[in-house]
Amino acid sequence: MHFSHLKIVAGIGKTGKLFVPLVNIMALAGKLCLLCQLNHKYSKTVHRFSSTWKKRLIKQEEIKETVYQFTVENATKLNERIYVWGFAATGALGIKSYLRPQKKQQPISCMNRPAQLKFFDSNRMKVNFFLYFFFFSFFPFFFFPFFLFFLFLFSFFFFSFFSFFFFSFFSFFLFSFFSFFLFSFFSFFLSFFNFFFYYFLFYLFLFSLFFLFIFFLFLSFFLVQNVACGYGFTLFLANHKGSQEVLGTGINTDSQVGYHPVDHKSERYLNYIIEPAKIDLPLLHPSKTKVLSMDGGRAHTVLLTDTEGVFSFGNNAYGQCGRSIIENEKYSGNATIHKIKELPDDVIEVICGQDHTLFLTKTGTVYSCGLGSDGQTGLGHYQSIGQASQVKGAIEGEKIVQIACSGDCVLALSDKGDVFGWGNSEYNQLALITDHTQVNVPKNIPISASCGKIIKVASGGSICGFLNESGEVFTWGYGILGLGPNVQATTTPTKLPSPLFGANEIDVGKKVVNLKCGVYHFAAITNHGDLYMWGKNKFGNLGFAHHKDQFFPWRVSVPSEVLDVWCGVDHTVARCLPFS
Amino acid sequence: MHVVTNRLQLTLAILKPDCMACPHIISEIRRLIMNNGFLFVQTKVVKLSRPDAEEFYRIHEDKFFYNRLVTFMSSGPIGVHILARDDAINKWRKLLGPTRVLRTIFDEPDSIRGRFGLTDTRNCAHGSDSEETAKKEIEFFFPGFNINKWKDDVGQFLRENGKVTFDEKLCEHVPER
Repeated sequence: MHFSHLKIVAGIGKTGKLFVPLVNIMALAGKLCLLCQLNHKYSKTVHRFSSTWKKRLIKQEEIKETVYQFTVENATKLNERIYVWGFAATGALGIKSYLRPQKKQQPISCMNRPAQLKFFDSNRMKVNFFLYFFFFSFFPFFFFPFFLFFLFLFSFFFFSFFSFFFFSFFSFFLFSFFSFFLFSFFSFFLSFFNFFFYYFLFYLFLFSLFFLFIFFLFLSFFLVQNVACGYGFTLFLANHKGSQEVLGTGINTDSQVGYHPVDHKSERYLNYIIEPAKIDLPLLHPSKTKVLSMDGGRAHTVLLTDTEGVFSFGNNAYGQCGRSIIENEKYSGNATIHKIKELPDDVIEVICGQDHTLFLTKTGTVYSCGLGSDGQTGLGHYQSIGQASQVKGAIEGEKIVQIACSGDCVLALSDKGDVFGWGNSEYNQLALITDHTQVNVPKNIPISASCGKIIKVASGGSICGFLNESGEVFTWGYGILGLGPNVQATTTPTKLPSPLFGANEIDVGKKVVNLKCGVYHFAAITNHGDLYMWGKNKFGNLGFAHHKDQFFPWRVSVPSEVLDVWCGVDHTVARCLPFS
Repeated sequence: MHVVTNRLQLTLAILKPDCMACPHIISEIRRLIMNNGFLFVQTKVVKLSRPDAEEFYRIHEDKFFYNRLVTFMSSGPIGVHILARDDAINKWRKLLGPTRVLRTIFDEPDSIRGRFGLTDTRNCAHGSDSEETAKKEIEFFFPGFNINKWKDDVGQFLRENGKVTFDEKLCEHVPER
């Protein structure tokens, strides 16, 4: 063996994947020596007398032979990406270098264009999780192969007598012939017992296994990721080595991103988390329990798990954490994580307003707690309440499927497409149902039938909107509604022209599929994965690389296909898929 | 610092709980106050109880937002400052911007409320609207503070071109004697 070859092989081991070690492997096998072009028998003596020459030669050959792969790791896989933009000084974007810049970098307080959050890639985390309900909707399908397998085993005993006598000779010749090619060993064994029925079952079993495999593949692509944006903080749900972790970043003065002491001795706490940090939840089975839904308000966080209920932490000055209000409670460095017990077991979603929390159950009922001074809890009073109770009024008996709330006005959508509203109406958001500025009981908003069947509602501070089945967006309220170059106020839902979302004569199939609302701005996603935003451009949270307000929908230049978007008050997070 | 001492006026500024929860906003507002030539006379951080807040906002008792405002003001610590400047009341209200944030973000986006306010009630800060209210509000938060004595004492000092320095810890301007 040539000494220099060994050295290169060691080099490969050190620096990892970037080298293509084909040549070296061949050299190791003794077939070829590209380094010295000499017979190996003489190599030892050559080494002794020409060490510098040898080193130079090795270096040159290394340069010549190494092939660098400039493509990034996992480029072939369609890995999802997170893009963030908006106000960075709170650390809500989760990019550390904006606030702790390296050499020759300037700190960034406002990121006014989409920036990729590489934290999860660099830590080999996936900000994804399997949707629990998806799994159970395919429940029978999932157990089909196992069912067949048992059928196969039992049928062996049941039918063995009959078939053995009837088909013994015939099937032996016939099926041993075919089976030899297909599953030579196993089917030959079967054909010996010559049961046509077993063949059928066996192939069915194999096919269903194949389908199961496809199903799992399917699952791993249809990942539903969860992010939640509060006022100056962001929460991520990530998969790390198979277990689920909740990570938070941003402002933490009310412990809304968890309990983070500076060190164990001092009583100082981290007021700003500038990079996603793990939040420890008091779970009984941390490895099994999955977080289904989460949301953040102005200064509180609520998390929903599949088997262990709802957890809340952060500011509880109005009872928004679902526990009784304690006078003069200190929220900074508060390690309390409360489990809300008043709720039923079938909660499927939690939605946070600025200072109140809403819980949506599978049967379509709504529970709420927190600040009710505008009636935003919908409980029929204007008091703050620290105990989650059921919202009644017009939504009683209806199956609510979606709730939208990012300010103090709440919109709820039933499965029939009816819209219900309660809360603040100072800017005529609920003018169709009331003349007052506050509504404390859910009421049905009479939206004309010409608007089509509504599939999504969105509600901000003074603006409201909804999306209908044919992908048309309607807005009303006060502020930038997307209808023209002025700040507007309308009381009835007004349609935005669909060419604003890229639909035209050439591109007919384009339509809006998702509508979200921040406090002062809207975000809409089309079926082509384009993100359109309009509204108040506070701290660059529209992502247009400038700070001017946008008066009609405009496409954000995210260099990927946008799957979902979350609007905070002054920052935005988008989950994207690279263009394939 | 240049202060036109003849028309020295005092006003009360309150940083509301939404703003007190964000240290970066507090420091930015304090910076703005200093840059606009205000003097911090007295500073304290208190938490209003609900009856206190009701007492403080007695004038708004009939308004629909009274309950909301009182609930909000008693929900967390607030930073109370006495500010001094010539024409302090109007200048501070100008710097603050109109009350209704959701309108202010479009009408006066560069004001404090336009920049840092969240919604109509969560509007960052409070300012006295007249000299009379300022006097009343200062008495409410600083019962031991005598406005006339301060004007005679420190006003005289400033008129004689005395210098003041800013004490970071107290968040107050202290005369250099």
